[in-house]
Amino acid sequence: MTRTTKGAPRAGAPLSVWGLIGRLAALAVIDAVALAFAYGLVAGGLLVGAVVLLVITVVINLAFLVDRLYPLRWISPGLLLTVLMVVYPLLYTAYIAFTNYGQGHILSKQQVIDRLEGQTYSEAAALTWRAYRSPAGAFLLWLTDEAGNELLGDARTGQLQPIDRGDPQLGPIDPADGLPRRIGDHAKLARLEVIRYLTILEDVRLRTEFAGEPAEIRIESLDRADVGRQRYSYDAARDVLVDDRDDIEYQSREGFFVAPDGTRLTPGFADFIGPANFLRVATDPNIRGPFLGVFIWTFAFAALTVVLAFAVGLGLALLLNDRQLPAKGLFRTLSIIPYTIPGFISALVWVGLLNPLHGPINVMLADVIGFSPRWFSDGTLAKVALLMVNTWLGYPYMLLVSLGALQSIPSEVYEAAQIDGASPFQRFRSITFPLLLVALAPLLIGAFAFNFNNFTLIELVTEGGPPTPGAQTPAGQTDILISYSFRLAFASGRGQDYAFAAAISLFIFVIVAAITLFNFRLSRRVEELV
Amino acid sequence: MGGVVLLLLLMLVACAGPGASRPAASPAASPATSPATPVVTGSPAESPAESPAESPPSPAESPAESPAESPAESPAESPGASASPSPPPAGVEGTLTIWVDELRAQYMTQVGQDFQTATGVPVAVHQLGFGDIRDQLQLRGPAGEGPDVIIGAHDWLGQLVENGLVEPLDLGTKTESFDPVALQAFTYDGQLYGVPYASEAIALYHNTDLVPEPPATWDELKQIAQQLQDDGTVEQGYILQTGPADPYHSYPFLTGHGGYIFARDEAGNYDPSDVGLDSEGGLAYARELDQMIKDGILRQDVSYDTMISLFTGGSSAMFMTGPWALAPIRESGVPFDVAPIPAMEEGARPFVGVQAFMVSAFAPNKTLAETFLTEYIATDETMAALFEVDPRPPTWLAQVEQVDDEQVLAFVESASTGDPMPAIPEMSAVWTDWTDALNLIFTQAQDPEQAMRDAAEGIRTTIGGSASPSP
Repeated sequence: MTRTTKGAPRAGAPLSVWGLIGRLAALAVIDAVALAFAYGLVAGGLLVGAVVLLVITVVINLAFLVDRLYPLRWISPGLLLTVLMVVYPLLYTAYIAFTNYGQGHILSKQQVIDRLEGQTYSEAAALTWRAYRSPAGAFLLWLTDEAGNELLGDARTGQLQPIDRGDPQLGPIDPADGLPRRIGDHAKLARLEVIRYLTILEDVRLRTEFAGEPAEIRIESLDRADVGRQRYSYDAARDVLVDDRDDIEYQSREGFFVAPDGTRLTPGFADFIGPANFLRVATDPNIRGPFLGVFIWTFAFAALTVVLAFAVGLGLALLLNDRQLPAKGLFRTLSIIPYTIPGFISALVWVGLLNPLHGPINVMLADVIGFSPRWFSDGTLAKVALLMVNTWLGYPYMLLVSLGALQSIPSEVYEAAQIDGASPFQRFRSITFPLLLVALAPLLIGAFAFNFNNFTLIELVTEGGPPTPGAQTPAGQTDILISYSFRLAFASGRGQDYAFAAAISLFIFVIVAAITLFNFRLSRRVEELV
Repeated sequence: MGGVVLLLLLMLVACAGPGASRPAASPAASPATSPATPVVTGSPAESPAESPAESPPSPAESPAESPAESPAESPAESPGASASPSPPPAGVEGTLTIWVDELRAQYMTQVGQDFQTATGVPVAVHQLGFGDIRDQLQLRGPAGEGPDVIIGAHDWLGQLVENGLVEPLDLGTKTESFDPVALQAFTYDGQLYGVPYASEAIALYHNTDLVPEPPATWDELKQIAQQLQDDGTVEQGYILQTGPADPYHSYPFLTGHGGYIFARDEAGNYDPSDVGLDSEGGLAYARELDQMIKDGILRQDVSYDTMISLFTGGSSAMFMTGPWALAPIRESGVPFDVAPIPAMEEGARPFVGVQAFMVSAFAPNKTLAETFLTEYIATDETMAALFEVDPRPPTWLAQVEQVDDEQVLAFVESASTGDPMPAIPEMSAVWTDWTDALNLIFTQAQDPEQAMRDAAEGIRTTIGGSASPSP
């Protein structure tokens, strides 16, 4: 790993034949795996995914074969991950935000057209049918209409012909249903035997005529076949769906096929609707109204969580770092334990502990001070409860990193301070804390940004509640931005509204990005000061 | 050597979720970012929109009860589909793929085997959480990875139909064998979408030691409850879920005072433009709940689990819930019986929920699936067995006659008087605001009438302001 002098061989250059062979072999394995995956993706119809995968593979190959791209070798995995996990979801969210993807608009336009074009209408009475199968696997359908007219359809050709009962091809009559047991080499299938072939038979279309116009006979159920005509047909050139039965033209508008009189066909489809979702966030008074309050609480929640967790964590770290503390290992282990329990479980345990009726904490409080706080019914108490739980969940992490950072502060500094006569508090204030902050500032910023979007905790502990009296939107008193947008998106008038949620999350993204940027600036200044 | 490192990184990409790259400040969130299954279910936790609907521990998902020791993966899987635990396998042409919940998985596997033996069509039965079936169908159906047949609740129907996910059915001559109320519940815009197998409605559970004769009227119930509390026999005479509030269980009070959610037309369809929570009856309902809190007839901060445990522990004498609680309460050994809901001024009708088999609109084998339902599900034998694994009021008329369990019959009776839970998508707006209003009333945070008016207004705004008003 020496790249100091220009004349020296590059570190990435092959040092030996074996090194080169090893590298090529590893690349070959990667390429083989990538190709196998790409093949699977193409087979699954995900062409875009295959292309992306192949591009990535080519980049990997280049990075390892072209010496000039040496730095890329080590950055590329991170870059690829960023693209996959951050950039792609971001772009996709932005794309969704400009559509109406949500309740009633789940399917793609093509899927909706396929569904509608698959619909038939039938004015003729239904037919009953029986199937005959030849040993070679060809099918004949014996159709009987209500009037008793009998027709024979060939499944392969779609041809239909009237049956002549005197035809010598017809075998002996089965008394059970009055139909011949055989037609030529085709044997009649019993009702249950037919089921095995339904998947084939349901695709059969027999050409016929009804009321002077071409129609199709298709199997509708085990016993019934319908004479039908395709009801809708899509005219791609004009982007209209024509209803052939009623002669109505449906225009494609905002994710629906709409008739001139305003009638909409269900289902709707996901469609591009421009900035409507963003305008709604900005202009709808019901959404804008509680926004400020939620915003402030979000900020307070994230900041207080970090401050409290850091305070507790640092305090414990200082204690544990004290040389005079006995059984240090035991205490250290004990304080880390909350970290080892899944947060989901801890949060739910806390909900149980704080249960106003049976929660141990409340029972104890009621016994000792005669007051049982109703944690989840009162806005302020609910906020206190949330901060309490989140501090509990967050402090072990702060403790861990503080412990580590404390070890890294050289002891000479303290000795010097001691000689200068600094009190323990002065030592903490002027040495420990600033030096710690240098190391921990990025982590604290990370924790802040993370808690800014800590949906899980809110949802597990309070579900955003208690509700705000008089609110017109589902904004609870402990809702943070992300849970508020979740509620707006998934409890809207007609179920899920993914596109709207995407628009709001873009707003949140901008806010968080701005805060993070600001924080980075701030922390850089802190580092410069120290 | 670098290649090896890269390989490791690629493997990391392959197996680690986004959770790996988290700042991990608070461990509380880490589980959310690395879900156990690779399948995205749409919402991290149970979405609030659906949780109220399902919070009457939605029957099938209800807590304990699992008489059938349901083996997760059916022992005799079809040769066609492979058995993989997390992502429910896709439907394959020629193989009938069925998604069912835990309770019914074992029995349906058996039906599938019978079907396979009789017809030669391979059947793959896969077990999902009851609530997951809807989410997964919405996600995987359009992607061509969905099943042929699912089971589901009728209040999903609006969403499923408007998203184009289920196929209309024709029961033919078997139509007459079903309870018309159940068929009505699975009819949307005039078309039938389900083969119903069970229904449910809440009824009154009463501790027969404390309350030998069930009260016939609500006033009587309140007197008995008050008496028991005054005597110190029980902590709470009557108990209702109040914290978090649950609109589902409070619906009989709404109808009992003449209130309604959505007005219904002659055909029984709900009209989302007429919200009745703040009608005269709705306000009376709010006042009544408020008064019961003030009188101590209702207790604050009672969750569903608390409600059950107070009753099974003998600390409460009466409460209302559905047949899903029969098993855990029987297990507890507390002497109890089930009675119809005591009458209020206007009768008190509970919500009725119906469960049924449906055919996916993206089923590779639609006719086959429909045939399977009409020929193998809509039969005396199957319906009897489905009742056996999960004893709820049957919808198959012949099976209703077979029921000799008095307690189940009480639910049958209760269901016959109830209102089908509205299946229109607008209902999701109702659950949220209604729950909030009840919470405000139960916690005495707001004037009851005002809370109910706010809720109704909120519902009107969300329905009116949503991007897609009803067609």
